[in-house]
Amino acid sequence: MSAPAKLSDVEPRFFTRAQWASFIVPTLVLALLLPLLNALLPADSLLRPSDFTLNLYGKYATYAVLALGVDLLWGYLGILSLGQALFFSLGGYAFGMHLLLMIGKDGQYKSDLPDYMVFLGYKALPAHWEPFYSFPFALAAVLLVPALLAFVFGWLAFRSRIKGVYLSILTQALTYAAALLFFRNDFGFGGNNGFTDFKRVLGADLNSPATRRALYIASIALLAAVFLLYRWLTRAKFGHLMQAIRDGENRVLFSGYATARYKLFVFVLVAAITGLAGALYVPQVGIINPSEMTAEKSIEAVVWVAVGGRGTLIGPIIGAIFVNALKSWATREAPERWLYILGGLFIVVVLFLPGGIVSLPTKFRTFLAKLRRPPSGPTAS
Amino acid sequence: MLRTLSIFLFLLAAAALSAAPDASRARLLAALVAPADQQVAAVRALVGLEDAALVPTLTAWRAAELYLVTTGTASPVPALLAPLPGDADGRLQALAVADGLPVKDPATGQPLTFAPKELKALDTTAPLRRAIRDVLEVAGVADPSPAVRRESIERLGQSRKADHLPLLQARLAIEFSPAVRSALQDAIAFIQLADPAVEVRLQAITDLAAAHSLAAAARFKEQIALPADAPGAASPVELAALKTAVKTIEDHWSRVNFFGNLFRGLSAGSVLLLIALGLAITFGLMGVINMAHGELMVVGAYATFVVQNLFAAAFGPGSLAFNFYFLAALPVAFAAAALVGLVIERGVIQFLYKRPLESLLATWGVSLALQQTFRLVFGPANVQINAPAWLQGGTALYDVAFAYNRLFVIGFAVLVVFGVWLVLNRTPLGLLVRAVMQNRQMASCIGVKTTRVNMLTFAFGSGLAGLAGACLSQLGNVGPGMGQLHIIDAFMVVVSGGVGNVLGSVAASLGIGVTDQLLQPVLGAVMGKILVLFAIILFLQWRPGGLFPTRSRSLD
Amino acid sequence: MSHPILQAEDVTKTYDGFRAINALNFYLFPGELRTVIGPNGAGKSTFFDLLTGRAKPDTGTIRYADSDAAPSIDLTDLNEYEIQRLGIGRKFQTPSVFAEHTVFTNLVLSLKGPRGVFASLFHRLDSSARDRLDSLLKLIRLDDKRHWKAGLLSHGEKQWLEIGMLLASEPRVLLVDEPAAGMTDEETHRTGELLLSLRGQHSIVVVEHDMTFVKQISDGGRVTVLHQGSVLCEGKFDDVQSNPKVREVYLGRGKH
Repeated sequence: MSAPAKLSDVEPRFFTRAQWASFIVPTLVLALLLPLLNALLPADSLLRPSDFTLNLYGKYATYAVLALGVDLLWGYLGILSLGQALFFSLGGYAFGMHLLLMIGKDGQYKSDLPDYMVFLGYKALPAHWEPFYSFPFALAAVLLVPALLAFVFGWLAFRSRIKGVYLSILTQALTYAAALLFFRNDFGFGGNNGFTDFKRVLGADLNSPATRRALYIASIALLAAVFLLYRWLTRAKFGHLMQAIRDGENRVLFSGYATARYKLFVFVLVAAITGLAGALYVPQVGIINPSEMTAEKSIEAVVWVAVGGRGTLIGPIIGAIFVNALKSWATREAPERWLYILGGLFIVVVLFLPGGIVSLPTKFRTFLAKLRRPPSGPTAS
Repeated sequence: MLRTLSIFLFLLAAAALSAAPDASRARLLAALVAPADQQVAAVRALVGLEDAALVPTLTAWRAAELYLVTTGTASPVPALLAPLPGDADGRLQALAVADGLPVKDPATGQPLTFAPKELKALDTTAPLRRAIRDVLEVAGVADPSPAVRRESIERLGQSRKADHLPLLQARLAIEFSPAVRSALQDAIAFIQLADPAVEVRLQAITDLAAAHSLAAAARFKEQIALPADAPGAASPVELAALKTAVKTIEDHWSRVNFFGNLFRGLSAGSVLLLIALGLAITFGLMGVINMAHGELMVVGAYATFVVQNLFAAAFGPGSLAFNFYFLAALPVAFAAAALVGLVIERGVIQFLYKRPLESLLATWGVSLALQQTFRLVFGPANVQINAPAWLQGGTALYDVAFAYNRLFVIGFAVLVVFGVWLVLNRTPLGLLVRAVMQNRQMASCIGVKTTRVNMLTFAFGSGLAGLAGACLSQLGNVGPGMGQLHIIDAFMVVVSGGVGNVLGSVAASLGIGVTDQLLQPVLGAVMGKILVLFAIILFLQWRPGGLFPTRSRSLD
Repeated sequence: MSHPILQAEDVTKTYDGFRAINALNFYLFPGELRTVIGPNGAGKSTFFDLLTGRAKPDTGTIRYADSDAAPSIDLTDLNEYEIQRLGIGRKFQTPSVFAEHTVFTNLVLSLKGPRGVFASLFHRLDSSARDRLDSLLKLIRLDDKRHWKAGLLSHGEKQWLEIGMLLASEPRVLLVDEPAAGMTDEETHRTGELLLSLRGQHSIVVVEHDMTFVKQISDGGRVTVLHQGSVLCEGKFDDVQSNPKVREVYLGRGKH
């Protein structure tokens, strides 16, 4: 009996040739072939993915980036953050501010001010909104605002070695507090209704199929890039340390590593990337409001990861798509059952399938092997 | 409208008639039928008359709705018209001012009925109407109801008319209700503020300051703000007195507000404590925060709702027995939540004792399913819970209001804490629970049936959530999403309070509840909550090495 | 003689009113192999906790010398990883290895080198590090199990792996807590030889219960007896063994 090396020992190869193929082919199909078919084929062609489909896939891709972040934190580092939807929404809000200003005078009130400001009786644009006219500034804010919040919170939390369920609860409370703030009109971000009615981005009409295709391609590209980045992170010595922190943080500490800094680095990095995903999500769905940043949403993202398979990078992507497809179906067919399905998924996965969907093939193989062999023999573990 | 109102009042007065002294009623009747040239004087003489029929009668008279009814040979009887019960033709009966009873036909003994047009209203003249108005203005001062007296006395005080002084002073001499007396003193002082004599004015200022009258403070401030040469501006001596008075009054009320907030904070903290106690116990045992704890609380609240409906169906909603439904609901709520908790423990949690983060997720799944179940069974809207009579209203001590339901919650929390302490420290179950909490393996080695202990403890913690829910049903809305509202605060209590540590939970929940309530008036509800959250995070900074630093031989 | 490399003076640590360490004085000299014995609850593990930054003393000083000069670095201000980086390594009583990682990775993570976030991101193993790992694997006799997940090793093998991890970080001071627990007699003996071979280049403190093992590794070195959080006596193994106080509190009670 020899245990196979799970983490290849010496210099871990980034990808084998087969892995490169299984990464590049789907990426190209999704990022190039589908948009091309959508653009070139006649509307009634059976092969043509509809605008709606592309939009849906684009949305799923941003969700998958969110899920990858949850997984990097939870599956690899052992931090169950219930605040990831907050970072996603902060990115969305930051970019939403830019989109809102880009409406110009085409809003309902034909004013330079965003509609909700007119409605609430603002006389002038608040000073902190001004720079959001600039796309580069908005992009920087998309990355930096979530990162900054993550830095402050993470610095305080990791420094005092809050972990496990305590950390989960504190992230949930942080999310809760932020959602409360954003729900208020006087906080200045549109209250309940948030931002909506966006018209254009970088001068392009948001409702035109070409713009929507571009947003879709950007989402797939982001997902692919984030996948590669996280792959690299987890294969490096850094990745081994992350898992070591997950399995026994104190031991890592006594090995001379400042674990709080490692955790903070990942937490902040993931927050920034999640914010970017949120920024791509908003123009595709056309709205951002505080209900996106509740703890419930964060926990939903955790379900995606749990269902797909945590501790792997493909699991969260599968999970995000699977659960959201299920949600679209369930809210259409049996809306009153959706919470049962979601809750049930949680319980079933945690109890019976801790490895998630990606562990199914292995489970199936073990099951088959058991069937073939007589049950009495001693089995290697 | 006015007519119905006055008739209603009249009927009320009629009901109280047996108690009304005949002498005052006779004076009232005499005024109604007095000769025209003496009528104004007779009406004005009614001031201070203690008779329940006074207001409705005069009101009707002024509105030309008082009639003289002639029966046979007898002299005409002043009466009000009221609908004849059970008569659809719109015919009216006359209720005599003298006794509030229907005027009867002397021949048949049957109540006389009239069409509205058949009778002629009692005449009034302009001076008479003025006199009636004046009498009515001060009539409330002698009203049988203390609340009405107080209100009308306060109104007179605000009018600042020196004419009312004698009446108020006369009333003060005979008034017995302490609340009305203090209102009378305030009103008198208020009127005396405009007294020509400066020492009377100063005395009035001192009196009002001593009475902590907010209305006086507002008026004083106006007066202080007047330019020195304006008419009615205060002299330097008076100005100093006014300023001292304003300060006295404002200090008093800020103290009252502080203690009021403190009290509300204590009661909010008690609610938190009730919610968090069960959470802390299950957490201490299984090392995981039960995300469905809020829903277990809702189970308790709905159980209270069901018990209430059963009582209403069995005894009628207004009955005396109904008032005791809440006492019956408490054990039911405990049992219902404990039962649901037991099912959750057996069905989900028992498999996850070594995987805290995952059991957090699984219990979240349970909470989603429970929420949906509440929606399907009880509907998505809040359900109506009627507080029993003994939990309604409140009392005040030194102007600080103490609502009975809040007092009850505080007392109940004290009882529950004591009960939990007893269970944990004085029962065999408590011994086992503490053993398992400290060292699960060791406890199991020495023969403790940990499975059973887990089950019972979890059920016990869940039952406590049910009790909290029953209590909360008396303070706020009961609906499917109610659990989510309070649960985050409860988590905060557990995080900052400590595991299975009853005292820590008490300190943390009271601390959070009181801080929250004291911050709210200053910062608003949301900012207060956010500040409390940050305070907790900072608190955890202050405890280096986390809340529960390990100090065992092995690492984790 | 030279200055101590590690000195604790008048150290007291109280947990919930219980004095785990009471006015303790302890001096460790460069290259020395010191054995610490004492009955359960004598404060041995707490003493290590204080030395490695896991717990802070209530009173007293703990100083460390990073050169030949007198000890000047105050360890009570530092936390676990700072102390490790100064060159004080610890092996725990219950073996703590990264169970989900291979034996090899366990050693790679422990290898002396920069410990920062970016160093870990761009870390590459050079050939000298590889050679060092190979010789370490041979030393701890896990060469043929280098690809095993550490969690699958036997208790004794985990102890060895942890010793290997300790050595990989090339500490100047080794704090070794009950290294022989769970080992066969033969393994115990080999562990003793390994520790003895390290003496001289490293300063070592070993906490141990097994008297045969203590006798083996004390080999002319000093033995410190802890009792109720203070040093009861200190000296050569035979002197300590014949000390009546020690017999009373420890040997007498434990060896009936």
